[in-house]
Amino acid sequence: MSYIEVDGLKKTFTVKKKREKGKLLREKQTVEALKGVSFSVEKGELVGYIGPNGAGKSTTVKILSGILTPDGGKANVGGRVPWVDRKEYVKHIGVVFGQRSQLWWDVPIIDSFSLLKDIYKLSSGDYEKRLKELKDALQLEELLRTPLRLLSLGQRMRAELCGSLLHRPELLFLDEPTIGLDAVSKIALRDFLKWENKENGTTIMLTTHDMEDIAALCSRVMVLGHGQKLFDGKLPDLLERFDTVRTVSVKYDGTDISLKVPEGASVSQKDNEFFITYCPKEIPTARLLVALQDAGTISEMTLQPENIDHLIAAMYKELDL
Amino acid sequence: MRAYFTVFKMRLRMELQYRGAMIGGIACQVFFGLILVALYRALYEGKPQAIPIEHVATYVWLQQSFFRMLVASDPDLLDKIRSGDISYDMCRPVDMYGFYYVRIMAQKLMGSLMRGIPMLVFAALLPKGWGIVLPNSVPGLLAGVMALVIGLLCMCALENITMAFTMRTLDPRGIQAMLNLLMVTFSGNLLPLTLFPDSWQKVIKVLPYSQLLDAPIRLYTGEYPVSEAFKIITIQLLWTLVLGAFGMYLWGRNKKRMIVQGG
Repeated sequence: MSYIEVDGLKKTFTVKKKREKGKLLREKQTVEALKGVSFSVEKGELVGYIGPNGAGKSTTVKILSGILTPDGGKANVGGRVPWVDRKEYVKHIGVVFGQRSQLWWDVPIIDSFSLLKDIYKLSSGDYEKRLKELKDALQLEELLRTPLRLLSLGQRMRAELCGSLLHRPELLFLDEPTIGLDAVSKIALRDFLKWENKENGTTIMLTTHDMEDIAALCSRVMVLGHGQKLFDGKLPDLLERFDTVRTVSVKYDGTDISLKVPEGASVSQKDNEFFITYCPKEIPTARLLVALQDAGTISEMTLQPENIDHLIAAMYKELDL
Repeated sequence: MRAYFTVFKMRLRMELQYRGAMIGGIACQVFFGLILVALYRALYEGKPQAIPIEHVATYVWLQQSFFRMLVASDPDLLDKIRSGDISYDMCRPVDMYGFYYVRIMAQKLMGSLMRGIPMLVFAALLPKGWGIVLPNSVPGLLAGVMALVIGLLCMCALENITMAFTMRTLDPRGIQAMLNLLMVTFSGNLLPLTLFPDSWQKVIKVLPYSQLLDAPIRLYTGEYPVSEAFKIITIQLLWTLVLGAFGMYLWGRNKKRMIVQGG
């Protein structure tokens, strides 16, 4: 049996709509946030969980972290059911919500940490050791005596991560941890997560909109849309499946160029610049390049592989999300 | 247990961060106290009442000193519920009711002690008939303090019910306004309960509100003999249990139907 087993998880929310003119009562509308999602995760895996806004990602995380009770389906994490006996279950997990804060606003973060120490009943020895390990990895030393309100977003996120990992959870949920962070902070955060996953074998489940997070961290990615799981596998496989169209632009020295491209590619011309659109699955890029070179001396060329965000957008479109 | 104690301690320290608010609060309540005493003195000029004016003044000062125990609620806690940060507390291995109970208690205790003690010192310096008089007897004082402590426990249980309701309505203002109105009226804050008609007092006395601050003060002034203390404390404990059980029930139900909105 896998570490996390989720089978047919369902959750419905009732939303009251604005009252329509001429009607006495508001209409109720049910929104199916999860329509039976199943997956399993092995111990020590680092899994990315992506999907457009409103796909049900956060709902899944909230259910698996014991906050919400689902309407149907089964889930088992390390032999426990998250929403049954919440108090016992949550000792073994850590959660970081990118848009919320667990640390106390007005007090130095070290005090928030010592509260967590008491909440999780950590011994002083364990706590000190773990705190040292985390503060070195997250470069928190100088920030420990600062109240949370004085920290920048990047510093705060590092402190939040430290807080969520003090009790050495087996499983860490991250809900959009890199939201609003600058490039340096993002990279530092990713490096830290990789380190934590490798060093301590922590299973990590990450939801994000930042595809760079997924590319840098996750060996496996799950795509969720309309409350259903649409893809589960490796990122390169996902990209290959939706990598449909690419464009090359070429400029040549001199004029009077007769360009012959392999069948299937289309060419458009603007002054002395050519734009070739092709499908990499049908025409290998190498073959196209040979054809381009045969036509003349290339002065300038840009190959635009679809960037990862465009790919994902194309995928959402194709899957009608 | 330690976690509850630590959160209590943290909340105390947080309260200390707002020293400006404390000074402002003291100034405001001293002003109110003086106005009220002046008002009752004017009333007594016209028609002296059965209760001596010294006791009424004492009543006013004690009332003002511990005012913060009665009303006000923890704005941070309400913010947590509104913003959804409460979800972090739900993924902790603690009992939610107890966790919030100690937070509320810390805020009430620290808030009222920090304001109350300087105010009582001030009131003690005022001339007789304006300021506070010494307690009627030492046992009376002890019984009063004990009743005050249990009153605090009862208050916290009541406020935790507000919190549980806020988790449903997301807006604390309605229920707070209602409870605060009942509170200031029936706790003797609007008008000392001794000045209510006797027939009213019979009903008011068994409500939880009158037990919170009014009964402890009356034990202090000696208006209630010490022998009454047992009865008062029994009523208080009963209310604390009832309100506590109801609060726990609400929190338990909330847990089942809770929704944390937003991503």
